[in-house]
Amino acid sequence: MQSTLDLILRKREGISELRAPEVGLFTCALNSGALLGPGQLAGVILIAGKSVALRVPPGVHGRVSNKPRPRTQAPVGYGDVLYELLPVDGAGAEQLLDEAADNESGLILKSNQSGRFYHRPSPDEPAYANPGDELVDGQAIGLLEIMKTFSQITYSPAGGLPSRAKLVRFLTTDGGEIREGDGLIEVEPA
Amino acid sequence: MFRSLLIANRGEVAVRVARAAKALGIRSVGVVSEADLGASWIEELDSVVCIGGSAPKDSYLRVDRIIQAALQSECAAVHPGWGFLAENSVFAALCAQHGLTFVGPGPGTMERLGLKIPAKRAMGAAGLKGIPGSDGLLDTVEEARAVAARIGYPVIVKADAGGGGRGMRRCYKESELGQAWSQASAEAEAAFGNGALYMESYLTGGRHIEIQILADEYGHAIHLGDRECSIQRNHQKLIEESPSPALTAKERDELGLLAARAAASIGYAGAGTVEFLRAPNGELYFMEMNARLQVEHPVTEMVSGVDLVAHQLHIAANEPLTLKQEDVKLQGASIECRINAEDPSQGFRPTPGKLTAFELPCDVGPGTLRIDTHLRAGDEVPPYYDSLIAKVIAHGETRDAAIETMLACLKGATIEGVKTTIPLHIAVLQSKEFQSGEYDTASIPGWSPAATAS
Repeated sequence: MQSTLDLILRKREGISELRAPEVGLFTCALNSGALLGPGQLAGVILIAGKSVALRVPPGVHGRVSNKPRPRTQAPVGYGDVLYELLPVDGAGAEQLLDEAADNESGLILKSNQSGRFYHRPSPDEPAYANPGDELVDGQAIGLLEIMKTFSQITYSPAGGLPSRAKLVRFLTTDGGEIREGDGLIEVEPA
Repeated sequence: MFRSLLIANRGEVAVRVARAAKALGIRSVGVVSEADLGASWIEELDSVVCIGGSAPKDSYLRVDRIIQAALQSECAAVHPGWGFLAENSVFAALCAQHGLTFVGPGPGTMERLGLKIPAKRAMGAAGLKGIPGSDGLLDTVEEARAVAARIGYPVIVKADAGGGGRGMRRCYKESELGQAWSQASAEAEAAFGNGALYMESYLTGGRHIEIQILADEYGHAIHLGDRECSIQRNHQKLIEESPSPALTAKERDELGLLAARAAASIGYAGAGTVEFLRAPNGELYFMEMNARLQVEHPVTEMVSGVDLVAHQLHIAANEPLTLKQEDVKLQGASIECRINAEDPSQGFRPTPGKLTAFELPCDVGPGTLRIDTHLRAGDEVPPYYDSLIAKVIAHGETRDAAIETMLACLKGATIEGVKTTIPLHIAVLQSKEFQSGEYDTASIPGWSPAATAS
């Protein structure tokens, strides 16, 4: 177990929430009104008797607006809100990078199911396809896991996609969650 | 008895264990992933601790977080249910190290049984004959090829840590082995965190028959009859029944006593299942022993009247098993249908989604019905986990009465929002083969996918 862990940042209606990154007993909480900045230590979580310091992740500035928990060594679960932060005037302009909206204007092969999309047949094997590779009808491009069942996803030139295509890029991370209709890969005519 | 119990599982499993705990006056603490935080079934638990993200490896397989959750919520014991960590001996050992009682056999026994190769060796020593196959685990697909060449095709590759049909692939010729190998390994890695594989002869036309046992810490073991689980698709059981139509009463008693004696001889404690393959020539081969409760345990509960989860908890609390073999009276016949959120007309494609209607009538006869589910209308079936949405268990004085009761329930069911396997169950239950009891694992009687494809 590491001796320091970053808190999880979630933004909700203008408030930044810092959440527990582990299950444990939360102690040494900062009081409301405290100013928090990136890299600052903001409490300790006890996990199986070991102390792990909690650190404010990069890009977060704010003032703690919630009261600390009424007891020291308060049991918390993963993702429980530990701090609610209000923005501080002038202090560190919002550095938070909202996820760059993917430009999906190219030719996209979409998933018709929700699940988890893997780029390779197993963790220690090479990817089915790499950017720059040529794809033909029926060629495997990844593995879709739905309810613990794995099935191969193959390239299919339907919906206006070219019969021979070049893989431009993957639109999901290897092993990332996908929803029905999400783009899997971007291609261009080969 | 324990005051508080942590249930290291989700959905239907968590609900089943929580109900048994409640009946014994035990407070239940659940662990949930972020995806399950808003689910209605968590109301069945007295409290819950969130342990991570939606993927099982980030939550329901996070041993460290589950143990910490048990400690900080003052639980004395951990029930793993079935699936996830139920057969993980490291988890059982870590529970013990942290002063938590693991509801199941000790880590040593579990390690031998949970991994199929040591299990085959241990049970072989106890007098149960196994299926021909690899001597141990296979490291590479080349080794697998060599074993297959020796024992002959068809073969089956199985996950050493397997269960519930995950991480298994059958293969009829050498050219299929490469793909079967990598898919089985990937599936095993994802489902159990262990991708090791072994190989056995694939015997076609056999029947899957298993014996339910209960054993205490003091060497007393009994059996509660058999279950027939031959209606399967891709090694996933679909319909289970007790008693098996393939065994005579004498064969059942003999097999049961043999299984109970073998369990006692390896120092097994808790509820367990000894699985056998009955070859077409009537020979019974030991397949594996599941060191946990099974999904299909309700059919045994229906014919025996014994609450298996309650007994598991009593045994885990070091109480002697008061139930004697002669007290076990098996009555009537029971059938279970696993209702999955899958579309049987589209190659059993999983269909997660929102259940807009969910009704299974319980007031039909001539027998009685039990429905085990964690869902209700309006609930979401998430795409991250198992596709099981309900188990319907029918009991009748005769097998025919149980079939009739099950059909009445399934035909009266209204489930909307997700596709289900109910059409398949109805077709099987109405088939001549199923009704006569003459069926095996090779095919699904009454079911031809082409006839129902739309």
